[in-house]
Amino acid sequence: MSSPIIQCKQLNHVYSGNLALNNVNFELAAGEPIGLVGPNGAGKTTLLGILSGFLQPTSGTVSLFDHPPGAKQLIGKVSALPQDARLDPSFTITEQLVFYGRLQGLTNPQAILEASRVLEAVSLTEISHEKPGTLSHGMAKRVAIAQALIGKPALILLDEPTAGLDPINVRTVRTIIAEQSSATTFIISSHDLAELDRLCQRILLLEKGILQSEILGQNEQQAATRFITLQMENAPAGEVITKFKTITGVLQVTNPQKNEFIVEYNPALQAQMDLQLIQCINMSHWQYRQLSHGKSLEEKLFFSD
Amino acid sequence: MHPSFFNQLLLISQFELKRGFATRKGLLSIVTFGVVWYFILLYPLRFTADVLVEDNGSNQHFSFFDFIGFGSLQHWPIPEFGVFWHIALIIFPILSVTLAADQTCSDRERGTLRFILLRSSRNRLFFGRFIGVMIIQTLLICAAALSTLILVLTRDASLFTSALPNLLVITLNLIVAVLPFTAMMAALSATVKSARQATLWAILIWTFLAGIISGVAYYLPALSFFRLLIPGVQLAELTQLSGWQTLQLAYIPLLQSFILLAVGRWIMARQAL
Repeated sequence: MSSPIIQCKQLNHVYSGNLALNNVNFELAAGEPIGLVGPNGAGKTTLLGILSGFLQPTSGTVSLFDHPPGAKQLIGKVSALPQDARLDPSFTITEQLVFYGRLQGLTNPQAILEASRVLEAVSLTEISHEKPGTLSHGMAKRVAIAQALIGKPALILLDEPTAGLDPINVRTVRTIIAEQSSATTFIISSHDLAELDRLCQRILLLEKGILQSEILGQNEQQAATRFITLQMENAPAGEVITKFKTITGVLQVTNPQKNEFIVEYNPALQAQMDLQLIQCINMSHWQYRQLSHGKSLEEKLFFSD
Repeated sequence: MHPSFFNQLLLISQFELKRGFATRKGLLSIVTFGVVWYFILLYPLRFTADVLVEDNGSNQHFSFFDFIGFGSLQHWPIPEFGVFWHIALIIFPILSVTLAADQTCSDRERGTLRFILLRSSRNRLFFGRFIGVMIIQTLLICAAALSTLILVLTRDASLFTSALPNLLVITLNLIVAVLPFTAMMAALSATVKSARQATLWAILIWTFLAGIISGVAYYLPALSFFRLLIPGVQLAELTQLSGWQTLQLAYIPLLQSFILLAVGRWIMARQAL
């Protein structure tokens, strides 16, 4: 395993008398995007704020690339999309991106080129000479993501990158992350579990300031039992469960939500369970909307035993 | 390569200069100052200077100037500079309380500081902004001083060589005089949420600080040295001095600035952003 890029040891943060983070310990290595989930007030923004150097932890230690947050060695190496942060309304987008590039040690011509590159990455070259006040919420968010991309940092912390965005902008942000994730490790805090499910192999769950669990996507492939999640169209739940249970290898069928079924099976007994299920659906003249391997992130995080 | 401390100070202060002279808000402030200064130059300054020149050593009007606290005008060889000195010592500290009020507060509330702090340190940001605002005020002081010099030269062009040293000492003194006010605003700006709040707090703190310390010093003269903590405490004494004598009291604003900047830096370092 490669050396960790983030190390948090016994991290605590007290905010207005409340324990926002309670003895958080974890290590993260570079690689695929990492999701950070949890209910409102769970401490996600506080954790990202500490990692970015915006907040000082009450106790515990944090290091990024073996340096404390905010260290000069991290300039250009670690960047972030802070939640709800807005650019200065007095200057144009390019002026500010060039300024940030200069602060990262780029020369003026390099900073101009870099500003142009990051705006192109978020498909916003046409607004480079606009002021932030003229941008829509989605555009402003993409510009804020663009500033995080300046200098191709090795680690980018994104706090709610898709919050309040329309589906088209959500897709754009997802594409940006997917395109950049070969060279950059992203840590993404979000409430959109479907989005994180698509992007992240590894998920950290925070609840009431406590790190509850770390979900590793790849572990599922080595598990003794596997899951298939099926979205059906108006199928009779009782009948579906009964028929699915008759298939060889099926261990358990649950119906957590209307028209949603989770089939737990033994891959050693039935390697092609997906084909068996589709065949059963076809023979029963039911319709299905979606079949996916594994449980949804929501199920894994909040409804697993 | 990581940019050096001084390189970042330069970049941050340059950006402040751009804010002061190349943005709509900055230009509006400069134009407003220009208009106000034009009228000061045209009426109180020129009028008083004319009276003093006409007086021509007869001391006819000096009882009046003594009465309003401008008695030291008679010590200035060029009357316009004497008047400029008195007016500027009031105008520029007041200007500083408004012009330097928004060094970090609105950027902190908007979240813009976070974008900057991903690439710089709190110290560099704090001192870079302070230097930027000081340069803007220095340029305004220089512009006001030059306009006064032009007024003098339109009256008597032969005064040019004797006017320059006077102009230099006034400019230098004024820059030193606004230092503690700018430092006070830097510290307040690191604490409050808006420029308006910073200005209001500056007025309140200054008034109470001056009142309380003066009161304490009256009853306990041994504690009168605490008066040195009040920004601008030397201004009343300064108006009674002229020429190079005026630099005698420069240690007071320099000491105050040092203390206020240390306090501001301490606040900034602990501020959650």
